Amino acid sequence: MIGHSRHPTHRGAKTGSPRLLRVVLPVLATVAIVAPLGWLWQASRVPAVYSVMEMGYLDYGGGAVSNPGGGGHGGHMEGHGPGHDMAPSRLVTDMVADPARPADVRVELVTRQQMLSVGGQSVPGFTVNGTSPGPEIRARQGQLVEVQLRNESVTDGVTLHWHGVDVPNAMDGVAGVTQDAVPVGGSFTYRFVAEQVGSYWYHSHQVSNPQVAGGLLGSLVVTPRAGIAQQVDVSAVAHTYGGVRTINGNAEDLRVPARPAQRVRVRVSNTDNGPMKIWTTGSYRLLAVDGTEVHQPTEVTGRSVTLTAGARADLEVKAPSDGAAVRVQLSKATAVIIGPPGADTAVPPQPADELDLLSYGTPAALGFDPAQATRQFDYRIGRRPGFVKGRPGMWWSINGHLYPNVPMYVVREGDVAVVHIDNRSGEVHPMHLHGHHVVVLARNGVAATGSPWWVDSLNVLADQTYDIAFVADNPGIWMDHCHNLKHAAQGMIAHLMYDGVDTPYRIAGPADNQPE
Amino acid sequence: MRTAYKVLAYLVAAEVAVQAIVMVWGIAGLGKWVDGGGVLDKAVFEEAMGSGGMPFPEFAGLLVHGINGMFVVPLIALVLLIVSFFTKVRGAIKWAAIVFALVVAQGQIGFLGHEFPLAGALHGLNALVLFGTAFYAGRRLRAAAAPAAVEHEQASTATPV
Repeated sequence: MIGHSRHPTHRGAKTGSPRLLRVVLPVLATVAIVAPLGWLWQASRVPAVYSVMEMGYLDYGGGAVSNPGGGGHGGHMEGHGPGHDMAPSRLVTDMVADPARPADVRVELVTRQQMLSVGGQSVPGFTVNGTSPGPEIRARQGQLVEVQLRNESVTDGVTLHWHGVDVPNAMDGVAGVTQDAVPVGGSFTYRFVAEQVGSYWYHSHQVSNPQVAGGLLGSLVVTPRAGIAQQVDVSAVAHTYGGVRTINGNAEDLRVPARPAQRVRVRVSNTDNGPMKIWTTGSYRLLAVDGTEVHQPTEVTGRSVTLTAGARADLEVKAPSDGAAVRVQLSKATAVIIGPPGADTAVPPQPADELDLLSYGTPAALGFDPAQATRQFDYRIGRRPGFVKGRPGMWWSINGHLYPNVPMYVVREGDVAVVHIDNRSGEVHPMHLHGHHVVVLARNGVAATGSPWWVDSLNVLADQTYDIAFVADNPGIWMDHCHNLKHAAQGMIAHLMYDGVDTPYRIAGPADNQPE
Repeated sequence: MRTAYKVLAYLVAAEVAVQAIVMVWGIAGLGKWVDGGGVLDKAVFEEAMGSGGMPFPEFAGLLVHGINGMFVVPLIALVLLIVSFFTKVRGAIKWAAIVFALVVAQGQIGFLGHEFPLAGALHGLNALVLFGTAFYAGRRLRAAAAPAAVEHEQASTATPV
């Protein structure tokens, strides 16, 4: 035990000040590490109740700045009250379809929380009118659609968002922004005029990450007044329940009877959180992207279509004249099989190349001039360590900021806005702007040369940049978020607001609104 | 504090082993599942990561790898660094700092691998470096603490002056 007397603790007693240092320095070093972490943690916490209008900072994109006191941002939550010298502000609840106009299509949707039977498995989920997906809503262009939502048993509450339909803001179905979540026993009536032809879908935007994954969704189709050119029209809603791939809720392939030489329009919706590849036996034409018709689509062979999360693609395939079948593969796992009953064909190999929508189809007028843009925004996506809502992790950032300190993009009605999206986060993001359709101007700096490529859900790969443009023609407060809803729940949510518009709704609060 | 230091350093090394174990377990499960006709794409992957609907049971290995690597290991390494300030052994802070730096680098390289798969290869190599370093950091403390033990000769050489 000789060594024991030479124990290093013995040495500290030589003089007073080194000893003090030996005690103080480690404490200081500890504080130097823990204090910034504590500060970051504290700063990342969100209030128990807050308005999206208070989130982050205003980004005017180089355009006109708000009237002081207008809009209600940054603690001016009571700004729409009387006594303020400012432009009269409007509420999201003012943005509705003509209340006097009777409905042409009337649907009642009842939501329940229950077990689902999928591919022989029982998984917890949600139904709309007893099924998942819920009933498909079909309307003709120009019809007024009225949907009464009744929440029978979804304990977290529900809403319905009309994904891809540029509805009036009050009908957008975002809990805590455009309405309160509908509690068990409650109801809400959505009314909008189906002006846009195409394939859309509806889903809950309350606790949307688990609710959409659990199947609280359905298809919405708006057909042109003159009808469509194809003889067969079928919807294929792709969804994954508890790891089981399905089409229209069935784990089996979807069989679509078609006579030889008939043309079939297949409306594919990707309701999952990641991009999906679609390819066919033989050739196809891509008729529409996110509801909007492609201008002069040509026949495509040996290329797949990438359908990002939340996006839709309308494909035209022809049943072979010899009575054989064709397959439309929705990934390798599931397929739409088209042909005479009982006919099938081998799974076509997955093409190595994909159809590039930047050059597909032929150009047409956009209806506005992006070169005359009055707002220029940046939407830079990154990923960095930090705290969000008090939780540590590797979080998605928008223009370098973590939720809720993200930009609030501000426009005025009539503005033309261009957005530069730059994904430096290392992963793909399906970017979704509510209430507007955006047109792709360029990808990685290469200008679009094909048909106007209008989207509401855009697949932005790692290290890609996109330049997109839209016309600010639908006043309100609109989410601009990642439709990988898990990412949205992790804070990948910004908003687009129109100057002078405010919301009476709050995130959290008595209705427990949680749009992600 | 020395005991805490030792335990934490060894814990980091053990966690690196766990990370390797669960990852290969997960990949093996994936291989078997694909062999049986399973299809893994982004939709299935995101579903499994998000709501826990696991396509095959070994997917849990990938989840554990993520949670461990993002939260548990950095936390242990951070606590080790703080503990090292109070461990009066020469080099304790240095080696704890090296372990911490390697852990931070390991996480960043791992995420980089999502974009550049070659970074994933580096992630595997750096894991070995981290394992060795953490193990050494714990071991040299044992040597430094040895005065309390019988081997007094070794103790005197290792005792800082």
